[in-house]
Amino acid sequence: MLSEWLTRIRFFFVRRKPDELDEELCFHVEQSVERNVAAGMTAEEARREAMIEFGGVERAREQSFAQRPGWWLGTVEQDVRYALRGFRRNWVFTVAVIATLMVGIGATTAVFSVVDRILFRPLPYAHDDRLVSVGLVQPMQRQEFTLGGFFFEWRDNQKPFEALTFETGYGDCNLTETNPMHLHCISVAQDFLPTLGVTPVAGRNFTKEEDVPNGPRVVVITDGLWLSRFDRDPALVGKTVNLDGHATQIVGVLPRDFEMPRLQEVDILRPAQIDIAEQHTVNSGIGLPLWAFARLKPGIGLAEAKAEMEPLFLHTREWIPAELRKDFHLQVRSIRDLQMADVYRVAWVLLGAVLTVLAIACANVASLFSARGVAREKEMAVRSALGASRGRLLRQTLTEAVLLAIGGTAAGCVLAEILLRGFISIGPTGMPFLASARLDLRITLFMVVLAMVCATIFGILPALEIPKARALAARQARTATQARLRRVLVVGQIGLCVVLLSGASLLVRSFSNLERQSLGMQTRNVITVHVPLNWERYPAGTRDFYLRAEAAFRQLPGVTAVGISNSLPPGGPHAGSRYSEFEVEGKPPTPAGAGGSVAWRQVTPDYFRVLRIPIVEGANFSEEERGLNQHLAILSKDLAARFFPEGNAVGRHVMHEMFNPYRQAGPVYTVVGVAGMVKNGGLAGEDEPEFYELQTNGQSEYWDNHEVFLLESSLPAAALAPWIHARVAQLDPTAPVEMDTMEQVVSKLADRPRFETALLGFFACCGLLMAVIGLYGVIAFVATQRTQEIGVRMALGATRGNILRLIAGEGVRLIVIGGVLGLGASLVSARLLTSLLFHVSARDPWTYVGVVVVLGVVALAATLIPARAAMKVEPVVALRYE
Amino acid sequence: MQPTTDLLQGTLDLLILQTLAAGPMHGWGVAQRIQQVSKDVLQIGQGSLYPALHRLEYKGWIRADWGASENNRRAKFYSLTATGRRQLQAELKSWDRLSDAIGLVLGRIPEGA
Repeated sequence: MLSEWLTRIRFFFVRRKPDELDEELCFHVEQSVERNVAAGMTAEEARREAMIEFGGVERAREQSFAQRPGWWLGTVEQDVRYALRGFRRNWVFTVAVIATLMVGIGATTAVFSVVDRILFRPLPYAHDDRLVSVGLVQPMQRQEFTLGGFFFEWRDNQKPFEALTFETGYGDCNLTETNPMHLHCISVAQDFLPTLGVTPVAGRNFTKEEDVPNGPRVVVITDGLWLSRFDRDPALVGKTVNLDGHATQIVGVLPRDFEMPRLQEVDILRPAQIDIAEQHTVNSGIGLPLWAFARLKPGIGLAEAKAEMEPLFLHTREWIPAELRKDFHLQVRSIRDLQMADVYRVAWVLLGAVLTVLAIACANVASLFSARGVAREKEMAVRSALGASRGRLLRQTLTEAVLLAIGGTAAGCVLAEILLRGFISIGPTGMPFLASARLDLRITLFMVVLAMVCATIFGILPALEIPKARALAARQARTATQARLRRVLVVGQIGLCVVLLSGASLLVRSFSNLERQSLGMQTRNVITVHVPLNWERYPAGTRDFYLRAEAAFRQLPGVTAVGISNSLPPGGPHAGSRYSEFEVEGKPPTPAGAGGSVAWRQVTPDYFRVLRIPIVEGANFSEEERGLNQHLAILSKDLAARFFPEGNAVGRHVMHEMFNPYRQAGPVYTVVGVAGMVKNGGLAGEDEPEFYELQTNGQSEYWDNHEVFLLESSLPAAALAPWIHARVAQLDPTAPVEMDTMEQVVSKLADRPRFETALLGFFACCGLLMAVIGLYGVIAFVATQRTQEIGVRMALGATRGNILRLIAGEGVRLIVIGGVLGLGASLVSARLLTSLLFHVSARDPWTYVGVVVVLGVVALAATLIPARAAMKVEPVVALRYE
Repeated sequence: MQPTTDLLQGTLDLLILQTLAAGPMHGWGVAQRIQQVSKDVLQIGQGSLYPALHRLEYKGWIRADWGASENNRRAKFYSLTATGRRQLQAELKSWDRLSDAIGLVLGRIPEGA
């Protein structure tokens, strides 16, 4: 058996020369001739007899060849060559199919690669589907958090969770050794890692004995720090390093893919070492803020867990002052939801758009193949009559389909890579994991298989019908059903196209509204310089540093004004207060919790000058007032109108209450002016009324450690950068400097909507293009099919106008049906977009009118070109057609 | 028209193997030999002879070598390989079984004969 296989394999590779067989056959005939001559025939007669006896020489030769193992490979080669010749002859069809497949596969693969990382990424935790985030939410803090005063009561009495653990948010620490390093240190509960199902790859987690108040200084470090600082030293565990001036022992190293559930940057985890008893006294008696995570018991759902936690939550809520209490609610959601909260919607919209494009692409391929199948019916019938078996014809068609799919897939993969790079380059920074998206091999493979299956099915369908002899003569019957299929496909394409186009135009309108809105301030020639300081280096406060830096910046060339603020409009985080905490002199206090929130900024007089924010009433703060120890304020126009509906805000007094832990009177501010409205809730967000407090030179403790300078400069930021870095370094060589132009700050806020708009716009264009190709193909095909009919009609007296109407009417009908269906579908699907839209209704009539007009015009053009060609047919030619 | 006798599927292979068992032979010789031995009943169409020879060669049951024919022409001589010999024995056995069985069914051979 083995030798038999070896022989076969040998012959598979060793091809015999064709003339060997010829020689052999020739010899055979010669032998017969000789025998016949010997039997007494003439030479001529002998040869004739020998040839008759032999039969078909060609057939014998072909069949002998066919015995060779792997002979069929040769026919594949033949099929491929035949197919390529066909493609060259019919290059419009070839290009259309490959382009369609390219766009379909390219766009789908690229978007899936991105979306997969966002929606379906496995979290680096064991059984991540059972991990949840638990906490309080309130209108000003929508990300759930909890407080030390509540957490431990929850932990000790909860039932739905296997474990409830916490981390303490963001933290800084410094590696105080040679080459000091600024690190992100987060304190976590002892059971934090076990609850997430994370095991250190080296060393161990903290022990319970270490997680006690004033316990030993031990830390677990991340793989990133292990690599960057310690070069993956295997003997590191157990060693001692100097952290913030204290000897600290490294007891473990985290796995490479470790990440915090809230995705904060992290280098070091240390035990929280929380004093539980103390949690009822610190921070006004409600305890330190914590972020809690839990592992659900098997079989318990989110809703169940929340219902079981509710009584505990209501009980602990009693700790919150009564007037704020009802603002707080319990929230339990999966960690995936927590991470992806506002990216979900975008990802689904993208996915929907790209699936629509894929559907249009498939319909296009189907209708192209079907049209070609009909056009080739005759060719197939001829080949069949000449003796090609049905299997052979099928294989031929299959070869063509697979070749096209390969071409389309290759082009699609290239396009996918280009698109993906494009997405990443225009992608907003706030979109998690976008930057790390790579072309996913599994998805690419899936798409390749999908394309092959698609092409195979559509390629084979026409070939499956036996090429009947009658196809040589008449071919009406089948053409009719196929034409109906193609019409349905075109209607579907146009419908889907309307959905895509209307979604894209809604986003485009929304984006242009966003870009065109007035920010209420000047962004040109404004440079922002953010200098965060380390409190440990400034025990006496940061005021002196910032005042010196301000003075230094004022002397820079080209700088005409320097303002200081503790936060930046329009989108940055800023301090805030409840409206009800303000009490206007001579008026009754607002009920607690009513009135929403107020943005609060501490600024110097130049803040208004640099940003050109108009003071509409009263006056700006003055430089002299900075030296006085007074509480001065400027109100935004709407805040002034709410405090003083009767007008005349200037010179009036507003008291701001403080909770410590109960209501008590705070400082009284004198209003010196009213400022114009400035966007402060992001580009698309709801604006809050704004309270500007003068940042005085008085008490140092009123200064933050993350002040921002606003420079009005006639020089570009790049030119100023070296000077600014040098001036800051003179004051504090360890202080980091982050520079931006105000225009960049604003433009970054528009990143997300720009991303969404660009993508959906791109898909809509792809969809439109493909739908138009499909429509054109069908109408052109119908027109050719009816050439003879047109000839007869014209011979019977039809005018060219009649013919145009006849052919174009077909197209118009498809457009109208598809358009109406599409409008209906897009009105429904546009609701998905509502949360992404800015100042545009999801049912904005103008958008839909625009889409209908654009699609109508383009589609009509696609119809009229072939219809006009049909109109110009000469009746004599048409009658002779075929 | 020559008398047509459709050979049973696979029988041609058996005939060729059996013919070659006598010694190396070229294609024409094989055809002549089968015709002679069968007293002109079995005429092998060349259209099936050469494909069969090639098939057997590809299977490794027979071997082809170029040699000189009786009248000193270059011809391809086929001979049985060891595998071919074993295959011939196996095929003969199964042929006997088959023809006995057919004979029984047709009642041509008395039972127990």
